[in-house]
Amino acid sequence: MKKFYLMFMMLLGIVVLAACSSGEEASGGESSSEGSASVDKITAWAWDPAFNIAALEKAKEAYNGDGEYEVEIIENAQDDIIQKLNTGLSSGTTKGMPNIVLIEDYRAQSFLQAYPDAFHPLTDVIKSDDFADYKIATTSYEGEQYGLPFDSGVAGLYVRTDYLEEAGYTVEDVTNITWDEYIEVGKKVKEATGKNMLTLDPNDLAQVRMMIQTNGSWYVDEDGSTPNLAGNETLAKGFETYKKMMDEDIAKIVSDWSQFVGAFNSGDVASVPTGNWITPSVKQAADQSGKWAVVPMPRLDMDGAVNASNLGGSSWYVLNVDGKEEAADFLLNTFGSNPDLYQTLVKDIGAIGTYSAAAEGDAFAVEDEFFSGQQIITDFSQWTEEIPAVNYGLHTYAIEDILVTGMQDYLNGADLNQVLENAQSQAEAQLK
Amino acid sequence: MNTKKRIIQSLKDNNLFIKMFLIMVISIVAVSLLITFSSIRVSSNLFMDTFSITNTKVLSQIKTRFESYSFAIVSATHEVQNNGTIKRVLTQEDENSIETSGSYLNIIRQMERIYPTVESYEANMIVLGENERLFNMNYSNWPVSWGGLKNHSITQHTISEPSKLQYHFISSTSFTDKPMIVATKALMERSSGEIYGVLYFPIREEQLKAFYEGYTSKENEVLLINEAGKIVSSNKEEMIGVDAIDVLNLAKEVEEEELEFKDVNVFDTEYMLMSEYLPTYNMYLVNLVDKNVVMDNLVNTKEIIMISLGIVLIAVLIVFLISRRMTNSISTLVKQISTIAKHDFNKPVTETGGYEARKIANAFNFMLNELQDYVGIVVQAQQKQRNAELSALQHQINPHFLYNTLASVKFMVQQGKKEKATDMIHALISLLQNALSNIDQTITVEQEIKELKNYVLINQARYGDRIRVNYFISPECLDYHLPKLILQPFIENAFFHAFNEKKEGFIQILVALKDGRLVCEIVDNGDGMEMKGNYMKEDFKEKRHLFSGIGVRNVHERIQLLYGEEYGVEMTSAKGEGTRVKVELPPQKVQVASGT
Repeated sequence: MKKFYLMFMMLLGIVVLAACSSGEEASGGESSSEGSASVDKITAWAWDPAFNIAALEKAKEAYNGDGEYEVEIIENAQDDIIQKLNTGLSSGTTKGMPNIVLIEDYRAQSFLQAYPDAFHPLTDVIKSDDFADYKIATTSYEGEQYGLPFDSGVAGLYVRTDYLEEAGYTVEDVTNITWDEYIEVGKKVKEATGKNMLTLDPNDLAQVRMMIQTNGSWYVDEDGSTPNLAGNETLAKGFETYKKMMDEDIAKIVSDWSQFVGAFNSGDVASVPTGNWITPSVKQAADQSGKWAVVPMPRLDMDGAVNASNLGGSSWYVLNVDGKEEAADFLLNTFGSNPDLYQTLVKDIGAIGTYSAAAEGDAFAVEDEFFSGQQIITDFSQWTEEIPAVNYGLHTYAIEDILVTGMQDYLNGADLNQVLENAQSQAEAQLK
Repeated sequence: MNTKKRIIQSLKDNNLFIKMFLIMVISIVAVSLLITFSSIRVSSNLFMDTFSITNTKVLSQIKTRFESYSFAIVSATHEVQNNGTIKRVLTQEDENSIETSGSYLNIIRQMERIYPTVESYEANMIVLGENERLFNMNYSNWPVSWGGLKNHSITQHTISEPSKLQYHFISSTSFTDKPMIVATKALMERSSGEIYGVLYFPIREEQLKAFYEGYTSKENEVLLINEAGKIVSSNKEEMIGVDAIDVLNLAKEVEEEELEFKDVNVFDTEYMLMSEYLPTYNMYLVNLVDKNVVMDNLVNTKEIIMISLGIVLIAVLIVFLISRRMTNSISTLVKQISTIAKHDFNKPVTETGGYEARKIANAFNFMLNELQDYVGIVVQAQQKQRNAELSALQHQINPHFLYNTLASVKFMVQQGKKEKATDMIHALISLLQNALSNIDQTITVEQEIKELKNYVLINQARYGDRIRVNYFISPECLDYHLPKLILQPFIENAFFHAFNEKKEGFIQILVALKDGRLVCEIVDNGDGMEMKGNYMKEDFKEKRHLFSGIGVRNVHERIQLLYGEEYGVEMTSAKGEGTRVKVELPPQKVQVASGT
């Protein structure tokens, strides 16, 4: 009988144990990744699925290093990325921060200066000489290379050859001209065709920015922070040119991107002076094939100004968080040293990189039927080399907000010097 | 047939166990079933009640969020409507580029001032006017062109009801693949009633979702259904844009009847439905809780059932073993007892099993022993009585016999046959000696034969020797013992009754060992008789006999009493054929006191 009680107790024990054990499931699975441990997953943030995200995907495919990690690509709106970076970096926490982030060149310096320790220097990882000079200026800070230059914002003047012809011009007549000459052409074109020469958005001084970069000038001094508005002759010249275009009534005023694209897609304007990234949008209007050409950007009528400028463009940055070695390794083995990847980017996405070695590839020499057989990628690549390097500094957009109002005053008849001085003092007060 | 019988037999044997076990099992199972189900029921009811209360609270909290968004939109709409700059820019006719540029800048400045009201909800703000005037505060949110928006059905709807703030659902546009909810309002000149523009507040569904997503889970769904029955927003991506009129009707019902919740069956699932009406949106906020999944998560039915199943199994096992043990011993006991009743009283039952069974077995054995003692006493008493009877009979030597024998001796002496008379007297003395000695004692076969010979001598002396007696004694038997006066009555019978018709013949006496028994046969070739009825019953009483009371029946009973039922006397006879008497005895070599 004793045996029975023993057995009973044993069974009871088993039941009790079984009931207890079901409660405590695996705990402590997620070990926090403090310290510089290697990780098996890195994340990358970028905006624009058709362009930057697509480029990242291509890079993932093209990766030929021997790191064993996964790359997670997360799409965010550019404004969100900026906001999240600012929030995260200013609070000093690295939690939820990506390993790789895309930052627009105009904003890069402000991040690098505000959070110098938050970024992982790539000086020893990539060779600066491999990339266009002007990109290196915007992606480095205090002698350290932080960004891996990505797409070129090299600008060109897209022109409607048929409208020019109607007004009695050829493509040669608009090649390597000054802005003043451009305005003259615009007047003739409007006379002959009734079409405006270009679109202008009163909230966006992109035209002015492109103009002043042709002469190697910017809103700020070389130091990147001192506003350089009052007494900036190049800027004054840009303002004057802008006003002239308005006065001569050769510009169609638009208020947003859809109207901007809509204007040239519907044949309302004769030219589009902007960054090369507009090419896919231009080609959207398939019926205009053969009617377009791309020529170098007009320059300001000043000594030293060149027919090459830039608009936009961005670069990859590695944040100083766990996984930075992997992130740097990923960038080096893709955008940093793989000419074939750039061929793919040009072919499949239309993205022109700033990696010099890539320009020799076949994809760059392709003749584009839409542009009557012009080798536009080759042309853009050449112009890229000529873009005057400027330090975009910290406050591009802040100063532009001030200048937008100033421009309006100037257009309405205020004295230019006065306007710029006002802007200067306002900027100095605001950006202290 | 045989197996069936065996099964029935084993069922019968295990009757007690089966009954007990079945009752126990049924009660255990019933109790655990009842407890399991009632506990599941009680806990799920309790949970559902609390759940519905919390979810109703959550719903009203979500409602507050929706309302605050709609309030933001209303106030932004108000500001846009009352803004002179916006109105002027939208209404004024073509001007030169500088003026246009100025007005565009101004309107953007005005809108930028108002925009933050809704920007915090990540909503966009678009103003549409004539002359391709389109001001989009967040182009990437909705990259729509002037023409696209102008001809959009939501614009038509808005213009047709200019005084109303409307909410539209756009499942997927040609510009973006993300569903949106657009609040629209026509901008109308109050005095003239002229519509000078349309105001849009598009918010992506995923942003709207943020209002409630934190409260949801896989089994706790929130749907926003517009008055057309279309699901406008849901935490379940695949539900967005689905028509769900039935859910809308149920939601209306819940709202009208002011129910806390309602159990419904939609999308092929059992749900608990809670609902809130959002008057500003003219939409219903519906909370669907998948009861089964929630229950599964909360009350782990499987685990409970497994536990009770385990308990039942263990209990049944224990009950099985214990009751088996208990009843087994009782059953064995019963079996043993019933066998004993049939066959053997001497064998005690084995004392095994539980305490009770052992006690019973003990008591039974005790009783059996007592019984045996009494039986022994009875048997002894009977034997004693029989022996007493026998010795009494033995001592009653028939006076006629004595008289006849002595008369014969007298004649012999008279006739001068001295020697013959002497032999006769010797034989008589020997007979008397034997008869007078202790009846209890056994004698050897040899002695018995001697006595028989004496008896035969006397008889032949008296009645002549027309009846011859032959002895066939196996030499090995001579030493065996047998009780006194076993064979003598049969010889006597043969002498006096077998030869009434036939005047002469012979009697043969055979003694041999056969199959481990001592077999004595007395065979005559006399008259024989009909074997009718119980021939042993009747005793012949005659003067010629040596003893007046010892009969055939007496012998048979005596043997059985002494040695058991397997021994005894067997008699076969037929008319004219003679009689054969067979006496079977156990072979005993030593003097045994027969009866004590």
